[in-house]
Amino acid sequence: MFIINCPYCGERDQTEFSSGGEAHIARPKQPTELSDDEWAEFLFMRKNIKGIQFERWNHSHGCRKWFNVVRDTSNDKIHAVYKMGEKPPVNK
Amino acid sequence: MLNFETTLQDSKSYGDLTLSEVEPILKINLRSNKREFSTKIGKLLSIIPPIEANTSSSNEDYSVLWLSPDEWLIYSNNKISYEQQNLLEENLFNNISNINQGSVTNVTDHWVMINLKGYKIYDLLSKSSPYDFKNFKMKKGSVTQTLLNHTDVILHNIYDNNLNLFVRRSFSEDLWLWINDSARFL
Amino acid sequence: MSQELRINNNKFIDQTTRLSFKFNGEKLYGYKGDTLASALLANNIHLVGRSFKYHRPRGIMTCGSEEPNAIVQIGNDPSLTDPNVRATEIELYEGLEAFSQNCWPNVKFDIGGINNLLSPLLPAGFYYKTFMWPASFWEKYEFFIRHSAGLGKSPTKPDRDIYDHKYYHCDVLVVGGGISGIMAAKLSAENNNETLLIDDKNILGGTTIYQNNDCFQIDGIHTNYWLENEIKKIKNIKNLTIKTRTSLAAYHGYNYLLAKENLSDHLSPDERKNKIRQRLWKIRAKKVIIATGSIERPLIFNNNDRPGIMLSSAIKKFIDFYGVKTGKEISLFTNNDSVYETAISLKKSGVNIISIIDIRDKSSSKIVKEVEKHNIKIYWNHTIVNTEGYRRISFIEIMKLSDDGSGVIGKKIKLKTDCLGISGGWTPMVHLFTQSGGKLKFRSNDNVFLPDKNKTPSDQISIGSCNGDFDIKDIILNSNKDVKTFLGIENSPFDNLKVESSREEMKRNIWLLPSDKPIGKTKPFLDFQNDSTAKDVKLALREGFKSIEHVKRYTTTGMGTDQGKLSNMHALGIIAETTGTNMGELGTTTFRPPYTPLTFGAIVGRNVGEFFDHTRKTAMHNWHVQNKAKFENVGQWKRAWYYPKNGETMFEAVQRESKAARESVGILDASTLGKIDIQGTDASEFLNRVYTNAWSKLAVGKCRYGLMLNEDGMVYDDGVTTRLSENHYIMTTTTGGAANVLTKLEDYLQTEWPELDVYLTTVTDHFSTISICGPNSKKILSKVIPDLDLSDENFPHMSFKNSIINGIKCRVMRISFTGEHSYEINIQSNYAKHVWELCMDAGKNYNITPYGTETMHLLRAEKGFIITGQDTDGTMTPSDLQMDWIIGKKKFDFIGKRSLYRSDTIRDDRKQLVGLLTDDPKEILEEGAQIVEKLNQKPVEMLGHVTSSYFSPNLNKSIALAVIKSGKKLKGKKFFVPMENKNINVTVTDTVFFDKENKRLNA
Ligand SMILES: [Zn+2]
Repeated sequence: MFIINCPYCGERDQTEFSSGGEAHIARPKQPTELSDDEWAEFLFMRKNIKGIQFERWNHSHGCRKWFNVVRDTSNDKIHAVYKMGEKPPVNK
Repeated sequence: MLNFETTLQDSKSYGDLTLSEVEPILKINLRSNKREFSTKIGKLLSIIPPIEANTSSSNEDYSVLWLSPDEWLIYSNNKISYEQQNLLEENLFNNISNINQGSVTNVTDHWVMINLKGYKIYDLLSKSSPYDFKNFKMKKGSVTQTLLNHTDVILHNIYDNNLNLFVRRSFSEDLWLWINDSARFL
Repeated sequence: MSQELRINNNKFIDQTTRLSFKFNGEKLYGYKGDTLASALLANNIHLVGRSFKYHRPRGIMTCGSEEPNAIVQIGNDPSLTDPNVRATEIELYEGLEAFSQNCWPNVKFDIGGINNLLSPLLPAGFYYKTFMWPASFWEKYEFFIRHSAGLGKSPTKPDRDIYDHKYYHCDVLVVGGGISGIMAAKLSAENNNETLLIDDKNILGGTTIYQNNDCFQIDGIHTNYWLENEIKKIKNIKNLTIKTRTSLAAYHGYNYLLAKENLSDHLSPDERKNKIRQRLWKIRAKKVIIATGSIERPLIFNNNDRPGIMLSSAIKKFIDFYGVKTGKEISLFTNNDSVYETAISLKKSGVNIISIIDIRDKSSSKIVKEVEKHNIKIYWNHTIVNTEGYRRISFIEIMKLSDDGSGVIGKKIKLKTDCLGISGGWTPMVHLFTQSGGKLKFRSNDNVFLPDKNKTPSDQISIGSCNGDFDIKDIILNSNKDVKTFLGIENSPFDNLKVESSREEMKRNIWLLPSDKPIGKTKPFLDFQNDSTAKDVKLALREGFKSIEHVKRYTTTGMGTDQGKLSNMHALGIIAETTGTNMGELGTTTFRPPYTPLTFGAIVGRNVGEFFDHTRKTAMHNWHVQNKAKFENVGQWKRAWYYPKNGETMFEAVQRESKAARESVGILDASTLGKIDIQGTDASEFLNRVYTNAWSKLAVGKCRYGLMLNEDGMVYDDGVTTRLSENHYIMTTTTGGAANVLTKLEDYLQTEWPELDVYLTTVTDHFSTISICGPNSKKILSKVIPDLDLSDENFPHMSFKNSIINGIKCRVMRISFTGEHSYEINIQSNYAKHVWELCMDAGKNYNITPYGTETMHLLRAEKGFIITGQDTDGTMTPSDLQMDWIIGKKKFDFIGKRSLYRSDTIRDDRKQLVGLLTDDPKEILEEGAQIVEKLNQKPVEMLGHVTSSYFSPNLNKSIALAVIKSGKKLKGKKFFVPMENKNINVTVTDTVFFDKENKRLNA
């Protein structure tokens, strides 16, 4: 059970949050222009790596804001949190 | 007028601890990310919605709780008539929603407000809330949204060992039962 | 009562409070402060159980949570009895009743003991090898296993005890109240840290608190007196909270730890009433100091499991702490110095020590010299090759070790003894450290795995003997130094302590001690609880198992309730020795939480019975209850399901309700639907993007049905959304989807479309919804709201009006989920019950009929309306549902649009929604039943399944919705629905069964 530092509310228990999977997968601006394969790439393909991963989390039982988390999946250490639209504070 | 019927209509004491449903007072949810918004509310209610997270601002009539960077909950500190409630809601709606400065939504019956009093209230809350109340209980006016017995709640510290708890109406009976059960074993 | 094995003047035992208890039906006495184990020993009872596989007599072996043998059943109340309780941990109380486990008919004569004679037939992997084949014999084997094995009996009735949970936040958590834990707690709390100290015993001080020995002194006084004084002092520190009888169960990431506090297990049944039994603490600590100590290792030699053979440290605790002599003629067997401390304690209490057998050549440490002064016979370089005594050890046989320690030489000496203390060195308790993600390193000079400082998760340290310091001098020096660094403390009251101890110089270790007999003829037990021997481990290695994890599972070593606290190191040692591997490279098995077994009660806390799950109730709930509604769980909501009258069955009630709604008027509580208030200048554009159909042109005051997809094109949710004003909408969602839809919409607004000026607010609980449907619904509404013009011109289908009922504002929508002329009144929840009653009153003369969810489902099925989650399952596109009409093909984009023409979604053999009629109109299909075409095909091809099925009273026949491969093209085609006893003939039809022209909406 982690502690996540919500960029709006501060440190809270993980139970207040829900995970939204990999971050920085922008929804294509013109989906109709994409081939089946390109659309499938957006829709289904996720990295799920062991190590540093960029993730989306939602403070679902708090401020209800979505934000990004940089987490090491091998030890759950959270290296950074940052708001939607912001650049990752560590190298991606 | 129609009869109204609140959910709990109850008040209980366990030693020093007292729990009671506060008769429905006006509650309005505000949302906005507009610059003008704060001053507008200031003019309308003589109170500025707090910008600092987990805080509230209050005057004699109203409290405004920070819920998120673009969301607040206003509640009236005293009972006011249905007509007055309507006037206030309309006034806010006309001066915020209707001129695209944000949204004003009446949530009076969405939330049930329960008052908890006594030096053991934080022991009670800690039975099922993962929130660390250390700073919250020291600072009058603190606000937090968290989970209590797996149910969403908003907590507002009004005095030392005295807080208002907001729970969604449909969950209120369930949470009330849990609170009463837990209050027996502090 | 005289207890001749009890010594007097012991400060930890209250000899003025005598407690009676029963063991296997025999009435016995002990004192307040005893554990069940110490009380039994004081009554000269060693034999407490039978071993798991061979049913060998077993006795109390330890004095703590590592106890493998003395596990008992407490009480026989069918709802309160507790199996697998360690006698060494349970505190004695008046009226305690304990029973031996694992033996039948009784502990002294046990039929399963025959397994002991058969033991050559029960080698490692016996169960795997024997009981796997032939499979058809399993039932017979199971009978045999269940009757000869097993660990205790489960309670058969629900637990009456109360358990509780509590979160706790602190700056520093200290786990373990031994000398290093006490020092750490003091340092921490006195330096402005909110500190929590927990210990599983009822008395703080670990082993030092009874270490009354001249060899061990701090500032000129015995260590026990020094520590006693420190404990007195810390009790007054403001920042320090101390919880005794609290054992750490699990250590998770981010310093989240679970600890179980025993609140009334030590009380007599009368004193326990209305008290919480156990509380699970959910601790979040900024920093954690682990000071869990170490446990003594046994020695592995032939017949090392007889009652009366105990850890030397246990004998010491029983005499020094509980004041109980574990025997009258005690021998000690060791590979290190610690038994010499036990020897001095025994000597001081007047116990006769027969001999000390030490596998080392010599030891000249202070404590050994002290023992030598007492003229105790020490056999250096000797080992025990055999023991005798069935229910209690009676003799030991010793021989001299060969130079390399692999064999024995010389003459066998036989010594009479009634209790044997053994010590194979010490194992640091690193379980919590590894649970938290820490990695171990191996120290070869004394064969211990220790926390690796470089691989320790941040914000924790291990101190004391769990960190590998076994000498009191090291413990004090290093604990003080490490805690100061860890907490950033400059000066400590422990900086200049003068500590005296006896330093151990000589070490020798032999994992499996030799005997004069070949190993095949010996029984050197390794895991006492699971009855595996060193032979079993060697056999497993011969059979090709290499990984420690595999050997563990194959031999079951370390798999008992004690998780191999005593056996793991020896198993590793023997594997390393046999395979010629370095122990450090071999690694350990994984330690998993809980450290000691937890009760289910402690795990679930108060989330039992009425608190098992939430119940959400509508504002009209009490009315439904008063009117005898049966309820259905929809998510967490309690929804009225149907309202049986005069003993009606569910079928009869639903038929009546369904007819009434179509013939006159029905009323439904629809409050559970999700409602989202949408405001902002881009509200219309937002709806365009989230729904499949177009919204820009919806006029103010109008309602529209919308279908929401996932990006994968599958139907996600649906509902009616109303345009209240230019930039203001109210959206309804399904009951179950409400929370998820809001989260999803917020997600799009916050992450994909932050440029949109839209605000969402949930008002699900603010408004209650009363749905009135049927040809007479208009008459009812006109009575409840006389001022409202209900003409079709003013208030047509799919439109909305603001209105007022007796001074209270409401919103009325003319929308229909049944195909009937109907209205939905949305009003603030606190007034809703009254409005419901007004409607009932207004409908008196029209037979207004309250109906529940079952009738609602039936009525909409007659119209072929889908229910997301019932007729859809996350794999249905709008086209699959024959709802192509709702796709805004001209729209640039909406959630899921691109997926609607992926190669997979345009396949024409997808499962598609159709209507289904049974050839026999009285036959009702079962929901979920499969649909097939060819009955004789093997394997038979499943073409689809029934999603909704009802008997329609309005059509007087059974109707169903189903999904079938390529269903759209199959209208008129016949299929079978095979059931257990028959095959039902069905025909594919249109999905709309009733009022295909929608005439009734405006009736
Ligand atoms: Zn937040």
